[in-house]
Amino acid sequence: MLNARRLLALVPMALAVVIGSSGQDAGAQASTCEGPGVAPRVQMQTVEDGRTVREPIPGIEFVVTTPDGEEIGRATTDDTGVALICLPSRSDYVLTLQEDSLPEDVEINGATEVTLNENSFATNIRRLNFFSGESGRTELSFFEKLAQRTVDGIRLGLIIAITSVGLSLIFGTTGLTNFAHGELVTFGALMVYLFSETMGLPLTVGTALAVIVGGIFGWVLDSGLFAPLRRRGMGLVSQMIVTVGLGILLRNVYLFQFGGDFRFLRAYNSQRAWDLGPVAITPRDFTVTMLSLLVLVLVALALQKTRLGKATRAVSDNGELASATGINTARIIRLVWIAGGALAALGGVFRGLDEGINPDMGTALLFLMFAGVTLGGLGSAYGALVGGFVVGLLVEVSTLFGVPAELKSVPAIVVLVLVLLLRPQGILGQRQRVG
Amino acid sequence: MNWDGIINSTLRGFFGIDAVYFALAAIGLNLQFGYTGLLNFGQAAFLACGAYGVGMATFYFGVSMWWGIAFGLGFSVLLGLLMGVPTLRLRADYLAMVTISIAEVVRLFVRSQTFRNVFGGADGISDFSAAYRRLSPFHPSRGYGLGPFQYDDATRRILLSLLWLGLAVLVGVAAARSRRVRERGPQVQRIVGVGATIVTVLVMLWVLDRLRYSGYTMWTLTIGWILVAVLAVFLWLLMRSPFGRVLKAIREDEDAVRSLGKSVYSYKMQALIMGGVMAMLGGVVRALDRGSVQPDNYGRDVTFYIMTALVLGGLATVTGSIVGPMLFWAVLVFTDSFLNEVVGSDGVWEVGGITLIENVTQIGQIRFALVGLALMLLMILRPQGLFGNRKEMALDGR
Repeated sequence: MLNARRLLALVPMALAVVIGSSGQDAGAQASTCEGPGVAPRVQMQTVEDGRTVREPIPGIEFVVTTPDGEEIGRATTDDTGVALICLPSRSDYVLTLQEDSLPEDVEINGATEVTLNENSFATNIRRLNFFSGESGRTELSFFEKLAQRTVDGIRLGLIIAITSVGLSLIFGTTGLTNFAHGELVTFGALMVYLFSETMGLPLTVGTALAVIVGGIFGWVLDSGLFAPLRRRGMGLVSQMIVTVGLGILLRNVYLFQFGGDFRFLRAYNSQRAWDLGPVAITPRDFTVTMLSLLVLVLVALALQKTRLGKATRAVSDNGELASATGINTARIIRLVWIAGGALAALGGVFRGLDEGINPDMGTALLFLMFAGVTLGGLGSAYGALVGGFVVGLLVEVSTLFGVPAELKSVPAIVVLVLVLLLRPQGILGQRQRVG
Repeated sequence: MNWDGIINSTLRGFFGIDAVYFALAAIGLNLQFGYTGLLNFGQAAFLACGAYGVGMATFYFGVSMWWGIAFGLGFSVLLGLLMGVPTLRLRADYLAMVTISIAEVVRLFVRSQTFRNVFGGADGISDFSAAYRRLSPFHPSRGYGLGPFQYDDATRRILLSLLWLGLAVLVGVAAARSRRVRERGPQVQRIVGVGATIVTVLVMLWVLDRLRYSGYTMWTLTIGWILVAVLAVFLWLLMRSPFGRVLKAIREDEDAVRSLGKSVYSYKMQALIMGGVMAMLGGVVRALDRGSVQPDNYGRDVTFYIMTALVLGGLATVTGSIVGPMLFWAVLVFTDSFLNEVVGSDGVWEVGGITLIENVTQIGQIRFALVGLALMLLMILRPQGLFGNRKEMALDGR
């Protein structure tokens, strides 16, 4: 495992950022919990020469209770300012900082009580930071929060855009809405986990392999399953139900093989964030964002400039006409499945770096992909890019306007409904596909 | 291997409460998808309407549990409008995308911490069916069987015998009137009819005395299967009415129906809501039986399992939408008990040094992977299911 962390970097600049020692400390702590746990950390902040300096505050007591007030456990912060409380399972808890254990003249910024729910355990150990004293970061203005959310939203939007291109192009070229597309995304994430964590390959190599295997998977699904069904003249609605069955099958195979827990890629996992004015972003996330953008530009260029890309758009536009002009439609469809599978896998890798990997992650994204693809116009590749991006941005930014985090994918689905009501063909779609 | 135990639990699965609520939802889905061609991927949300209707009646509205059915009705009409208004003028797959998405929104809302005081959060709502249980004529702590020979008193024996005999005759009549048999003339029809009745009676004699349920379960089963029978007859009659013919015509060729001056949109909407209300009743039955609702029992997979059960039985057939769910659960329960026997108490199954199953949770994943595989294979190899007519499976029209 070590070499995965030590070796190679996505970009040279990532090398410059040493994996933070703080992250390793916390990692050592984490080994003391068998199951889930919560690790609050209390720090005193002071601003020196415009830089924020943080020092741990030991001796602060924390209590975890159930929502009904039944005590689960308590702990006191050690010299690193961290307290660790092990929990019986991932469910709903309330973590309270005991204010009477605070030294005099120390006050905590913000709430001293935090509600945890099942979904808030991204990792096994949920880490929470409590700060005392002043800093540029403690009191974020609305603008700063907006900037931060926008950056997160751009990252999610780009991931949705990457994964949606395949969904939209498969629809455009074959008329099929692929309900198993989320499972292709999960496939990529599980593959990068297999290559990088289990087999210990560097993350870059693992990512490249996952994308290749994802493309092969797309090819297998087309040549092994959907191409024969098309040749038999199977109806689109029937094919759609086949994709539903395929999705159930794949998801349970993943669960069987990997279990239901979240897993994390350890490479570049504990970097210190860069402070870029109002936003903080880790070098890894920055790299992921830039790579996503690069991939999307390449996809757009390939569609616009290359012969195959033009042929793809032609088939997507009007299959029979394209076929009549001598384009090999079956070959284009195969290409679309391969590219769609590879792009979905890449999206899965990026999403996995962001939020962790579990067999349900792709399906959770599927709703957002549907919203994005519909907003952009079903069947249009550029539409999928634009729509997916907008939806991702909307989902992240919506939490600023009173949407609770657990409901943040709801606005995306509201958009889906509104688009169908007002402009069913989407931003860039064709009218005749709709009715 | 305890085959006796496996057979008994499989049979209980065949007639059990899971089969009841699946059958109710499948009858609704059949009306929507099988007859009208509406690809509703959000049936689980309609089940949730019923379940949360009865749950919220006491928990949130503070009125008698029985109001819950009215709430469920209101919720499912609203949900149907929400799903239908944006999509019913558009192509089939838009409805599929919107229904699956809205069903997910419903699940997110009911399990959210934010609306915990309305829907009960991730734990759901519990302990609300006391009023329903008080009505039960069955003694809660006693076991009840379905076979006539388990009882000593003559009235029960005769009534149960008549009920099962009547069902056997129904099966015989259905077999005799089926298309393939009818084509071979009245002689064959008579032989098949009588033969099917006798075989059914023999099977029942073997099966029925193996079935025993607790008093509460028996009460729900009685209510549930009566409800299934009522809805099945309703659907059968509906599809032979002028209204039903329009629905089938919409499935075949929407434009043709429109050109006859029918409002396709309004017919579709009625079918969507009617099917949703039927599924809602399934949710009510399930919630009342358990006395609790949990949001995660109404996820998208439930919709897909109902779809699989319906396709297994046969789309656009009334028999299929009842027998499909029964078989679906029988097979699920069978694989569960069979694999549990195979792995034994340590939960590990090794063949020739290769570990095939590591722990008990993997059994569930195998079962549901098989469901997915079954759905694919059914659509590819036998889209008409067990009882359907391939010619009526005109899903390809749109």
